[in-house]
Amino acid sequence: MTQPVKIIMVEDDHGHAKLIEKNIRRANINNEIKHFDEGGAALDYLFSEEILANGPLLILLDLNLPDMSGTDILEKVKSNDRLKRAPVVVLTTTDDKVEIQRCYDLGCNVYITKPVDYESFAGAIRQLGLFLSVIQAPEI
Amino acid sequence: MSAMLILVFGLLILVNATTFVMIQRTASVNQTIEHAQQMRRASRTTLISMLNAETAQRGFLLTGRSDFLQPYRDARAEMEPAVAFLDEGAIQDPTLKAPIERIHRLADLKWAEMERTVTLAQQGRIGQSIQSVRSGEGKRYMDELRVAVEDFDTIKSTRIAERSRASERFGVLTVTMNAIAGLLVIVLALLSAWMVRRYVSEIQGARATLDAANAGLEDKIRERTGDLMRANEEIQRFAYIVSHDLRAPLVNVMGYTSELEQAGKIVDKAIADAEKTRAVDPDVVMAIREDMPEAIGFIRASTEKMDRLINAILKLSREGRRNLLPETLDMTAMAQNIANSVHHQTEASGARIEVQPLPEIESDRISMEQIMGNLIDNAVKYLDVSRPGEIVVSGEDVPGGWVVYRVADNGRGIAPRDHERIFELFRRSGKQDRSGEGLGLAFVRNSVRRIGGTIDIESELGKGSTFLLKFPKRLILAEPGGAL
Repeated sequence: MTQPVKIIMVEDDHGHAKLIEKNIRRANINNEIKHFDEGGAALDYLFSEEILANGPLLILLDLNLPDMSGTDILEKVKSNDRLKRAPVVVLTTTDDKVEIQRCYDLGCNVYITKPVDYESFAGAIRQLGLFLSVIQAPEI
Repeated sequence: MSAMLILVFGLLILVNATTFVMIQRTASVNQTIEHAQQMRRASRTTLISMLNAETAQRGFLLTGRSDFLQPYRDARAEMEPAVAFLDEGAIQDPTLKAPIERIHRLADLKWAEMERTVTLAQQGRIGQSIQSVRSGEGKRYMDELRVAVEDFDTIKSTRIAERSRASERFGVLTVTMNAIAGLLVIVLALLSAWMVRRYVSEIQGARATLDAANAGLEDKIRERTGDLMRANEEIQRFAYIVSHDLRAPLVNVMGYTSELEQAGKIVDKAIADAEKTRAVDPDVVMAIREDMPEAIGFIRASTEKMDRLINAILKLSREGRRNLLPETLDMTAMAQNIANSVHHQTEASGARIEVQPLPEIESDRISMEQIMGNLIDNAVKYLDVSRPGEIVVSGEDVPGGWVVYRVADNGRGIAPRDHERIFELFRRSGKQDRSGEGLGLAFVRNSVRRIGGTIDIESELGKGSTFLLKFPKRLILAEPGGAL
């Protein structure tokens, strides 16, 4: 039996984090969610031996972080031989075309814009949850 | 300087005129000298002819041979034109009248004497003829004629000498004048060369100054443009960041409002269940069923509005970062398309849009479409319901590489105090009976400025509005595809 997928959420806004988690749970996703509210701590955790040795992972990434840009984390993750296999879902308020392109260029797997309208937001997260329930995350 | 030039010119002309006069004079003096020589020759011819005639006369008298008379007749024939020439000279110059008349008279007398002797001889009265010769009358006439011709000659040669000296003087004067003229020409040439050189150096100096000034100006313009572009970029980035960062908390406000609403529904359901078995505090019922939904409604409406405003700022900042792509635009077709797209609205209100032939422009298509579209939309949106709408789109080329377009309507008009305000973001004018966020004209002005144009309004409340657009005929970007 493979290990269950661990969800790493990097999100500086606690409100958003809570809403995301709530809606994921509402979609009946019960995987462990590890929340970081700044990029540095998230990177430290991701690159620790413990995590590198115990895959599989799925990363939920916000782009506007206080200490660094989410794209920096994306770049580091995707340039690591082991971590690069982990699917990265960018979940952010930015819907700028250039930014979206850049994220996909850096290897992001899914890019989702947070809708301000809560119904859409909740819907999007729930759909993400459904998506998470079917995708296969590789061992890292 | 130029006064000097004119002076030299004047002198040159004067010298030339003098030279001309001199040449004329010299010519006329030479002519009189020539005439005097002819007179001299004529007087001598008279004397010589007379001598020849006398010789022939004597020969005839001595020999009685009539063939001696031939030279006599020839001499007479030769003398007559000479005497006639002298007579003419006497008419022309009255001072010569006396000596010439003297010659003429003596010649006549001599001839008369010789004719007489010859006639006597021919009649055979040779003795009488010889007697006449012997009387010395003929000799006396001859001697007197000789003296008269001598005197005339002296007068003439004196005059010729005088005239020759005058001619020489004139010649010297003419040469002098020519020398002066030559000198003046050289002076003139030097003066002109000097002036040309001075002017050229002045012009070069002025051009150098101008070039320096221009170069300075260009540097300054480049510097200012750079500053402006940096400032503009900063504002755009600011707007972008602000609108993004404002969105994040808004997601929370909206999200938790919904959560609150959900929670409220659960509480409401619990209250409904409780009401079935017992009385519930009416304040609690009121709070859950009326106060909370009302508060949530306001929060939601406000956040939705805020979201729209943030989106507007975002759109504006994005528009500012869009690359411009100049191309030749058929503005008549574009305006007509826009007019057609609002046809259902104009038809419903009985309004009419007239698109006159518009000049072409080389500019950014999307910007022009947004500008024209917004202005025509506004014209249709704010027509006065009390009269049939008339919207006219017109335009023409303006000297200096500009194009002007006008969107005129007979709608409700805008009060003068709002003429500036309507172009500001989120600001609207007049009766707020039409939906809108106050974005259209802010976008229009932003777009107009980006493609190097200006927008003005002429409007009177209750009469109508005319929006005046002025653009460069050709949009030239500092860098290809870059922002202005």
